[in-house]
Amino acid sequence: MPYMRELLLLCLLAAPCLAQTANLGLFTNSDDVGAPPIKGSAEFDPATRQYRITGSGTDIWGKADQFHYLWREMAGDFAITATTQFLTDGNDHRKASLMLRQSTDTDSPFIHLVIHGNGMPGVQFRSTKADNTNTVDLPIEGPGTFQLKLVRRGSTITVWTGKNGAALTERGHTANQLGSPVLVGLGVASHTQTATNTVLFSDVSLEQLAPPAAGKK
Amino acid sequence: MLIFRELLIVCVLSAPVFAQSGSLGAFTDSADVGNPARKGSTEFNAATGQYRITGSGANIWEKQDQFQFVWREMSGNFALTATMEFLGKGEDHRKAGIMFRQSLDAASPYGDIVIHGNGMPGLQWRGNQGEITNAFDLPFDGPGKYKIKLVRNGIGITTWIAKDGGELKETARTEVRLQNPVLVGLAVCSHKADASDTVVFSDVSIDQFAPPAAKK
Repeated sequence: MPYMRELLLLCLLAAPCLAQTANLGLFTNSDDVGAPPIKGSAEFDPATRQYRITGSGTDIWGKADQFHYLWREMAGDFAITATTQFLTDGNDHRKASLMLRQSTDTDSPFIHLVIHGNGMPGVQFRSTKADNTNTVDLPIEGPGTFQLKLVRRGSTITVWTGKNGAALTERGHTANQLGSPVLVGLGVASHTQTATNTVLFSDVSLEQLAPPAAGKK
Repeated sequence: MLIFRELLIVCVLSAPVFAQSGSLGAFTDSADVGNPARKGSTEFNAATGQYRITGSGANIWEKQDQFQFVWREMSGNFALTATMEFLGKGEDHRKAGIMFRQSLDAASPYGDIVIHGNGMPGLQWRGNQGEITNAFDLPFDGPGKYKIKLVRNGIGITTWIAKDGGELKETARTEVRLQNPVLVGLAVCSHKADASDTVVFSDVSIDQFAPPAAKK
């Protein structure tokens, strides 16, 4: 029986390695969430370290989501950074997202920092399974290339944005109870089932952060 | 004529005394929400147009609230603007601001823009009766005198903030489905059951907007 356990451990440890052979860069899996009628895809270019993600789906909104997701699992505190560029025209509210998600269920709890097609940044979240999505929309700066950063420290999620090469600026923070481990990744939705939306993610980084010093709020 | 003027001044000066019994300026009512152990109060000074609001209460947070509220009913789309300053010291997370609230129930849905004692601005909302409060806290650089504005446009609630005489800037927007009429007013909470905080609100203005053209 101990032998069985070793084998199981090996399988678990091997999972991320196997995923690398799928060539998804920093991430381990990619899939459509919510079964949109038009299939999405995620391609990683090892030369440029860019991710080209195509997603369809009604939205990441309401009580259930449809989009394409590229993710890995992470625990504890971490930061995710990426620069997003929409490559296709489409709905004003098509989305490119840095997303933390409980599961790949269509109605899973999540929180993301999102850029809409019209350049509106937002922080949106579903706190409990199948609950409605909450939104905080930030003032619209118009379309462009956005650097986005989302940091999780304990139950606090803090977001930064920087447009067209400008320095990252902190935009605010919220409390979140997604727990650990959590799926961390990039999402793309077209905001319509009849079209796809392709987004290029560059300069993507995932950083595991040390636990904070004790005794703070 | 001189005597008449004296009389007028006397009337104006005595307004705060009468405020307790109904003269609340732009508002119609004031009360504690959530029955805090220490009673709050609202005084309107007709001469300066300032509201001096004292509130206690555990917090405006989680599933229910305790605070002092001064309000009027409004329907449709509107905005409330005010400049606020905490008097004295208190908890880092004592709160004061502008609130749009469904009812006086402690667990009522609401949306607000608050400034915390340490200067942190926050957009907060409870989407449904008895639900947990959501919050989006904005970056800040310490306490001060804040001009704040909260706008209702359909289900959208938008916040504007300026610190220490700076230019009022839009900071964030969320969605809260409040039914007409909405209680529109000012809120003060000490974030501590056995403490009270006093906040002075000045330059308070209320705008009623025409219904928006069909959209989205």
